[in-house]
Amino acid sequence: MAKADTVLIVGAGPAGLEAARTVAELGKRAMLIETKDQLGGTPYAYYATLTPDLQETEHSMQEILDAVEHHSAVDVRLNTRVVHSEGSLGAFHVTLDRDGAQTVEEVGAIVVATGFQHFDPGRETQMYGYYEYDDVITLVDAEKMFKDGNIVRPSTGLPPERVAFIQCVGSRDRQIGNKYCSKVCCGIASKQSIEIKRMLPNAKVFIFYIDMRMYGFWEDQIYWKAQEEYKVNYIRGIVTEIIRKGDKLLIKGEDTTMGRPMEVLMDLVILSVGMEPSKGTVEMSRIFQIPREEHGFLQVIGGPLNTVSTPVPGIFVAGAAAGPKDIEDSVSMGASAAAKAVGALKRLELEVR
Amino acid sequence: MPSDLYTEVSFEEKQRLFDQVAADPRYKNYLYGCYECGICVAACPSARFYDFSPRKITQTLAREDVDLFYEQLNDDVWNCSQCFSCNRCPRQNSPGGLITIMREVAVKNGLRTTKEALAGYTRIIYKITTTGTQVSPDMLQEDAFPDWGPQVKEVSDNLDLWRRALPPETLHTTGLSWQVEERTMNELYAIWKMTGTLDMIAELDEGLHDIMEEIMDDAIEESGLLPG
Ligand SMILES: Cc1cc2nc3c(=O)[nH]c(=O)nc-3n(C[C@H](O)[C@H](O)[C@H](O)COP(=O)(O)OP(=O)(O)OC[C@H]3O[C@@H](n4cnc5c(N)ncnc54)[C@H](O)[C@@H]3O)c2cc1C
Ligand code: SF4
Repeated sequence: MAKADTVLIVGAGPAGLEAARTVAELGKRAMLIETKDQLGGTPYAYYATLTPDLQETEHSMQEILDAVEHHSAVDVRLNTRVVHSEGSLGAFHVTLDRDGAQTVEEVGAIVVATGFQHFDPGRETQMYGYYEYDDVITLVDAEKMFKDGNIVRPSTGLPPERVAFIQCVGSRDRQIGNKYCSKVCCGIASKQSIEIKRMLPNAKVFIFYIDMRMYGFWEDQIYWKAQEEYKVNYIRGIVTEIIRKGDKLLIKGEDTTMGRPMEVLMDLVILSVGMEPSKGTVEMSRIFQIPREEHGFLQVIGGPLNTVSTPVPGIFVAGAAAGPKDIEDSVSMGASAAAKAVGALKRLELEVR
Repeated sequence: MPSDLYTEVSFEEKQRLFDQVAADPRYKNYLYGCYECGICVAACPSARFYDFSPRKITQTLAREDVDLFYEQLNDDVWNCSQCFSCNRCPRQNSPGGLITIMREVAVKNGLRTTKEALAGYTRIIYKITTTGTQVSPDMLQEDAFPDWGPQVKEVSDNLDLWRRALPPETLHTTGLSWQVEERTMNELYAIWKMTGTLDMIAELDEGLHDIMEEIMDDAIEESGLLPG
């Protein structure tokens, strides 16, 4: 079992990066493969700033990226994907594909960290018209503008005076089939509302919600901050329809604490799209025969006491591939999966002796 | 929440009606739970015009608040347009469907407020159950809809002629919206009878029920659709 000291990590987002670093620090070899041409995962590719202190993403993630890129025990393979797998714990034979060139690698254990994808608002069951109205955008589109240092109405290129966030788009919805909460979008909408108020102090910003879910420290670090320091308006009630009215958008909802239907004009509407398992996550379920739990994410066997072991011996999961998560939880899971993977290899060594 | 209306009605009676609603086989597919997002109210045309909220109806049933349920059974359910715009509920509740069940229970039990609410509709009930068409041209008298303007009088004076000017022959009718085949009518009678719709009307307006029953029974017997 010459190569059984390598752990394959699939996906180089926060979870995969931390898994690779931990495997290397525990004295095993990590092979980190990533389909994209850069490390860092979804946050690095799409988001301008990160919670809780709104630091630039590139800056926040620099330390972990350096640690992985410069560690001699981490073998980084970009533009690479898994296409086939055979074998079991201690000796998986995994076929990797890089631009059509295939190699078979022998690895002892595997951590799947293939993450999530953003919900496509074309599938929502209300009538928000994301593909119809220029000024209806998503959290992700807003981050793209923040990266350029501004926020404007796409229709005019001018700054908006009234901005509305609509929460839970694609989440908590039996009609769509996503019955779970995506966990981060309440915090991210609040974070973005702070950024908009910093750029446009005179803008009015509204967040339409069902429940505001900012557990733990996000409560005062983001929620209270937006409400108290930046005067963001939180309105309990979800919008059902957006209609064009002149060059503005009329949004229809109910102000449920006031108990009346409500119609108000906005310049820009931001849809708080949630998380779904990424295509890569679904693909890994098929290739490695990892069952998916009832919401479609990869299944773990230990409930709250073992968050990373899948039903397949030697295969572990970390981060948003196992369900909606923020970076903090994804990274914790990455380290935990790495420790369990290395532990499994160590047990094999003892048995061999 | 205790309701301060209908205190003269016993809790047991309110509970009995609630239980009838909850026992309906459709109920469990119409009510899951409510997190008060307000989408149903925002989508509801009636909520724009009346003090009416599909969300409150749903939440009241979900909470099994029997007092408030009874108040809504009397005072709110007839404000619904039964358009089912509220079916876009992300929890997949059907507030409109719940109201359908509540209306049926209100009618079957002959609630006073239901009789009052439906008093204006006896002609329509009669028309639709005996003919299968709801509003016929001859019901549009000149003074019925002032907002339709003065030409309504001209049209109603020569109704028969105007109707015969319409290209489809099936619309050359004044007492019906369109011609209904005798067999279709008989089938409708059999359906009203077998589903208990006719019995429901008995609770509401006995006179109306008796007239309709006579018409229907004769027709059904002649048609031989139902075994004697
Ligand atoms: C709009 C928005 C803003 C957010 N902002 C924050 C924030 O400010 N703070 C915070 O804590 N959290 C934030 N989050 C949550 C955060 O994005 C996730 O917690 C985090 O990305 C999860 O990390 P991950 O490594 O599990 O997955 P990902 O970041 O999705 O990384 C998965 C990686 O796997 C790769 N991959 C996929 N399939 C394959 C394959 N078949 N083979 C190889 N590689 C593959 C992908 O290319 C990707 O690089 C935000 C989420 C959203 C929706
Ligand atoms: S985090 Fe907030 S916006 Fe996102 S799904 Fe949960 S409740 Fe909805």
